[in-house]
This record gives sequence, structure tokens and C-alpha cells, in this order.
Amino acid sequence: MIVYTLFVVSLIVFAITQILPADAAVMMLGENATPEALDALRQTMGLDAPIWQQYFSWLWHVVQGDLGTSLRTGQPVGPAMFEALGRSLLLALFSIGLMLVLAIPLGIIAAIRRGKIADMVVSLVSYAGVALPEFVTATIAVLVFADWMKWLPPTGYVPLTEDFFGGIAHLVLPVCVISIILIAHVSRMVRSELVDVLHTDYIRAARLKGMSRGHVLRRHALRNALLPTITIVALDVGYLLGGVIVVEEIFAIPGIGRQLIVAIQARDLPAIQAGVLIMAATYSIVNFIADILYAWLDKRIQYD
Amino acid sequence: MSNTEMTNTENNPVLSIENYSLDYETANGPFHALKTIDLSINRGEILGLVGESGSGKTSLAWSIMRYLPKNAREPGGRILLGGDNLLDKSERQMEAIRGRRISMVFQDPSTSLNPTLSLGTQLAEVLMRHRGLSRQQAWKEGEERLAHVGLKTPAQMMHRMPHEASGGEKQRVVIASAFACNPECIIFDEPTTALDVITSRQILDLFVELQAETGVASLYISHDLALVARTAGRVAVIKRGDIVEQGTVREIFTNPQQDYTRELINAVPDPAHRLVKDDVAVTDKPLVKVENVSVHFGRKSFLAALTGKKTERVTGNNAISLSVNPGEILGIVGESGSGKSTLAKAMTGLNRFEGKIWFDGREIRNLGDMDNAYRKDVQIIFQHPDASLNPRQKIFEILSRPLKLFGDGSDLEKQVGDMLEQVRLPRTHANRYPHQLSGGEKQRVAIARAFASKPKLVICDEITSALDVSVQASVVELLLDLQKASGTAYLFITHDLNLIRQIAHRIAVMYRGDLIEVVKAEEIDSPDRADYTRRLIEAVPRAAAQFQ
Repeated sequence: MIVYTLFVVSLIVFAITQILPADAAVMMLGENATPEALDALRQTMGLDAPIWQQYFSWLWHVVQGDLGTSLRTGQPVGPAMFEALGRSLLLALFSIGLMLVLAIPLGIIAAIRRGKIADMVVSLVSYAGVALPEFVTATIAVLVFADWMKWLPPTGYVPLTEDFFGGIAHLVLPVCVISIILIAHVSRMVRSELVDVLHTDYIRAARLKGMSRGHVLRRHALRNALLPTITIVALDVGYLLGGVIVVEEIFAIPGIGRQLIVAIQARDLPAIQAGVLIMAATYSIVNFIADILYAWLDKRIQYD
Repeated sequence: MSNTEMTNTENNPVLSIENYSLDYETANGPFHALKTIDLSINRGEILGLVGESGSGKTSLAWSIMRYLPKNAREPGGRILLGGDNLLDKSERQMEAIRGRRISMVFQDPSTSLNPTLSLGTQLAEVLMRHRGLSRQQAWKEGEERLAHVGLKTPAQMMHRMPHEASGGEKQRVVIASAFACNPECIIFDEPTTALDVITSRQILDLFVELQAETGVASLYISHDLALVARTAGRVAVIKRGDIVEQGTVREIFTNPQQDYTRELINAVPDPAHRLVKDDVAVTDKPLVKVENVSVHFGRKSFLAALTGKKTERVTGNNAISLSVNPGEILGIVGESGSGKSTLAKAMTGLNRFEGKIWFDGREIRNLGDMDNAYRKDVQIIFQHPDASLNPRQKIFEILSRPLKLFGDGSDLEKQVGDMLEQVRLPRTHANRYPHQLSGGEKQRVAIARAFASKPKLVICDEITSALDVSVQASVVELLLDLQKASGTAYLFITHDLNLIRQIAHRIAVMYRGDLIEVVKAEEIDSPDRADYTRRLIEAVPRAAAQFQ
């Protein structure tokens, strides 16, 4: 299934780059190149071949791990992209971690105190979180914590292997900005799932067997309420990949989002293709893992 | 329990409800759910509580269990369990009482068990909570309990997940947990309604056996008088939150004091009392002839088709052949999953099928052959009117659609009004939405819609099983009147054997996709019938038979 998805994605990515108003030969030789020189280059690059031939030759290289050569730097695209992906994943992992630690308890509190003040506060904060786009929260965060308070560095990236605490300090603001929307989203999800589960017959049955509220919540309700959350978190990875582009740009983190933006600005077709393909692959793999995890936790589901 | 305690409880009722009332606060003021209820159950006794849906049966169960919604108000009364007033207990105290001194068996075992916890875990947690057993002890005790409720492989069953057990097995687990701490009182809330005929008989037998063995005071809630007559010693009849009549089963059945009780008893289908004449000639030219019709579910996935992998198909119907004569009522019975509805869907083009259907001399091989003329002649009525009537359309729109499609579509106003009158609804109902009608009224609208095209065959798919007994009786009466007037043939699908024996000319018995046999209705209890048919007939309690 995942192979099938990636195949379709590769088709779409290739098709989009074909539509883009960029001619690789012109890009390389510059606007003033002679038509003869352009033709010669097109011939050596295989650009005069039919599109489907170009596609399969590209795909064949991709399968072999060769994502092409950057038109901008003349270097292979793959290593640079994967290095950038590593930085982005670090950012994403910290964000998801922070989100899980905060969103699930918040959702649970809102659900069991439904209609009370705690619920309303959580709801209000989540609405605010969902409503504010990350470039707004990021700007406010930089202004307050970096500019005024001077607690944290405003932008930049330091590898953790080089300077662990410095690296963490640089990550705090971007991670917080990314997780705000995720927290808002997931805590609302946990709340509504848990409210539904708390109204099911089996919860009532457990209470009528004499089980205490806490026991019923822990043993009976949470597992069922958190299962759909796995799917939501996996889907949020899609958002995360998009959000990461904005956040990386604002905080000047050389992740895959930033690489992609640079590639788009330079009309660096192989780099764009590689970046989008890597992001799509990441998304598919994460959702695939989520499906497996779901089936493992919910014994009713079986995959052939 | 020591001997002295035994004698103590022998004299006093185990559960006694005195002068108890319950209101629900609603936007339109208080709703009186229960009005000054007086009931008591002694040790070793089974009290049946009978009433229609919405009569307050289940509210009473929640009151006893002290599991009421926030808008519940209790203006007065007491609920005594072994002399302790449960209304005085705190939530914490009730938690220690529930499951230990009073427990409950629920209607549908598939929803009352947690789908993500093993059956053993859900049974053992009761033993750990109330009897202070360790996990190992509770698990061992659980296995014994499961063996005691007649499960063949208790050790295995403990490890199974709910979806890996059948409905009957699950209900046995629920019963085992209700009996786990030897409670003084158990409430049974329609424990067999969600199960099929033969399983529900087995569960009922188990209940009677365990009850006699333990002597637990039991409150048996049901809408089915026939069922209560089989199990209970005494019966209380509840109507709109009021106990209108109470007495022994024999008293209630032989000498009911209230009209309401009499109606309830009369509404219970009695196979001895046939409602149709056996005047349908079995001809060489049946209206419908179903020939070797099979339905399979599960289609090849894209990938499987590519790789040529074989997919396992589930058989819904296995080469069914039967026929319906003009003006005949053919009943189809069988437990859930026997393929009754699958056949109905195949005949109306909702399922793909293999085989042939002959209708009025025409050959129907596939969905493409089911043209407008066929659809006009073959109509279907579904089980749940809530699902089959569009909630955003007024009754007028719902009923005028078939008129426009199959009729001349002229003077819709009058035609719709006539249709409503035909199904004994006021003409003014045309301006209402489905949700403004009761369940019985909605089903009448669905019937009117099916008859709008003046069909030759109407397929009734469990159309009364979502309705109360008394409503069911009036809907059935309406159907029979319509049949007399129009000569339409019915294919009447139901799991209610008593009902179908009253109204069908012939009965087809289905089991796991196969047609077992088709027999004349009055001959279905003959000893010559197939084994499965005999088991079905034996499993169904007949209320009146015991007392008349």
C-alpha cells in the first residue's frame, strides 16, 4: 500500500515540476545562452526525450537512491536534503513530545470536568491556539522571550552534538510555537473522544459493577478514547510538515522546509522534486506506522 | 452469609421500593418519570416489570442502582436494600454496594462489554474490587465462574476479547460477573432482547437455573409479556411511570384488572389465533419465483485483482429457491445472520446476486433487469423508520415522490391525504416532519410510501421489531387490512415466530444463508419438520399457552 502511495506521489511531483515555468537548460546556462548551446545541453541531460521516458529515468534513479544533482550548487541533492530532514525531524519530535505531554492531560481534564471552569479555560485556550497562525505566535514569542526578556536566542540553529544546551535553547521557541496549534487540536480531540466514550454502555456497565470513577477512567475509558488520537496525531504530521516550513523560515533553522523554499526560489527542479518526495514519504511512513500501532492496540482490527 | 441472616432476610423483602417518585428537569418543566412506585421483591423471587418503551422501566433500574443523570430529582420515597435506604448512601458507599450487594445484567452484551479488554479482565476486576482477591486468585475464580455459567472452555474464554466471542457467550460472561459476588438482588434489563431466538432461550434457562440455585431476588425488566410469563412469579405492569397493576403471573394473565394490561396481553402474538384465512391457491404461476439465488459479499481489492490472489468471500445466501403466490403472505424466519434481509435486498436490487428471479413471467437476471416497472411492482419497507424516512423532508414530500415517479403525479395534495387516511393517520400529518411522529406513526408513513405505487409484492423487513408490542399489533392489523383490500403479496421477514405463525400462509425457515424448508404456517410445529425448525419452535415461549 505504502509503495503504491509513493508511486502515485512520485507521479504527481514529477507532473508538477513539468508544469512549472522553468527550463532546466535555461536555468543552468543563463538567460543569454545561445539556442545551439541550450539544445546541446538538453540533449546531454535527456530533456528532449518524451516526458514518460524522462519520468522513468528519474524514477529509476530515485529508486537507486540518486535524487539528482542540484542545478543551483551542482552537488547531489540527496545528502543535503536528508541532512536537512534530520534537523526538521528533531524539531518535529520535540514538538510532538511536548504536545503529547500537555495535550492529553488537558483533554482529559476538560472531558471529566465537562461544563465546569477547567473545561472552559482549556476550550478557550485551544480555540485561541487553533485560531492564531504560527507566524503570528512565532513573532509574538520572539518579541517577548527573545527581544524583551532576553531569555532565549531569537533565531538560529546549533547542532546538539556541538553544544547540547545551546542547541536546546535555540529549539525552545520553535518547538513551543509548533506545539501550540498541535496542543489545541489534539486536546480538543481527546476531550470529545473521551466525552463520547464516557457515555457508552460499557462505561456505565463498569460503573454499575461498582468500579470507582478513577478506575473506570484509567482502565476502561482512556484506552478507547486515545486510540483515535493516534490517527489524529499521524494526520497532524501533515500539518507539522507544512508548519515546519514557516517556522524554520522565521527561526532560520536549516531544515527541509527551508531547503525547499530555497529550491523553489532558485527554480532548482531536482531539489524541489527531492524535497517534496521526501516530505510525502515521511508523511506516508508516519501514517503507516500509526495504522500498525492502532491495529496492535485495538485487537479488533486486522490487516492482511 | 450465616444462617441467622438468612432467616432475617427471609421475613423482610430484599428490595423494597416505597412511595418512590422520580422527576427529570427539562426545558419544559419537570417530567414525571416515576410516580409513587411501591414494589418489593423477596429472597428467591423473580418480579417481572412489564411496560412499553418510555414507560419508566429503565428509569426505575437506574434509580435502584443510584445511577441517575444530573437533571434527576427525587421528590420522595425510599429504596431499601436489605433495610438500608439507598437514597441516603453517598456515591462512595454506593460504589461498594454496586456489583457486591446489587448487580445488573444489561440488554446488549456487545455494547456492555469494553471492546478493548479481555472478557477475563472484565470479570476478574469485579472479584478483585469487591472480594479483595489478588489478580491470580480472581483469574482462577473467574474461570470457575465461567464454567458455572455453562461455557465449555472457561480458561480460553477468559483470554478472549469481546469480539472473539458470540453474543450468547458474552451474555454468559455478563451474567457471571453479575452473580460473581453472590449479590442479594440482581436487575435484569431485557437480557435476551439483543440475542437471537435459540440463544435467548438458552440464556433464559441459565438465568432460571442460577436464580433457583442462589435464591437471588430478581427484578426482570421486559417489554415482552410472554417472556416474563415464563420466568417471573409476580408481574408489575408499568404505564407512564405508574405501576397500574401487580399480581402473580396467573392473576395477570387470567384476570387482568386494567384495560391497559388486557391490551398488552392481547397484543402478544398467539400462534393459535390465526389472523389470515388459508385461501391462497398454490398455482403453477407464482407471482415471484426465486431460482438458485446466491449472494456473496466481499469484492476483490485492487491489489488482489492485480496479483490474482484469491479473496475469501462470505456467503450471504446459498442457492435459495422459493416462490410467492399472488396475494400470499410468505414469512421468512431465522436468527440474525441467517440471510433473511440479504435475500430481501437481492430481490430489490440492493445486493448483487447470482441466479434468477422470475417476476410475473419476466426473467430478472441482474440489477439491470430491474427497471422502473419492476420497482413499481416490488416495494420494500425497512426495520427502522427513523433511518428510512428523510429527516429533512416533510411527510408530504416523502409520500409525493413515489406518486410522481410511478403515478400520474396529479393533485398530489389529495392523493397524499388519501394515502395517509389509508394508513389511518390524519391528513394533517402531511405537514409534519418525521421526528414529530411516534415510532408507530413513522412506520405507517413508510407503509403508505410502499403502497403508493400500488405494488404487487411488498417486502417487509423486520418492520415491527423496533416497535412496542401494542403498536406492533396495530401495524400488523393495518398490513392485513391493506392486503385484503389490494391483494398484494407480502414477503414478511421477522424473527418473531409467534407473530409470523399468526399472519403467514407459508413460512420459509433460513439458517446461515441456507433455506431449510418452506412449510404451511399451520404445519410448522408438526414433528415432521427439520431439526432446526423444531429447535426454533421449542425455543420460543408462548405466553397464553400456559394459562388457557
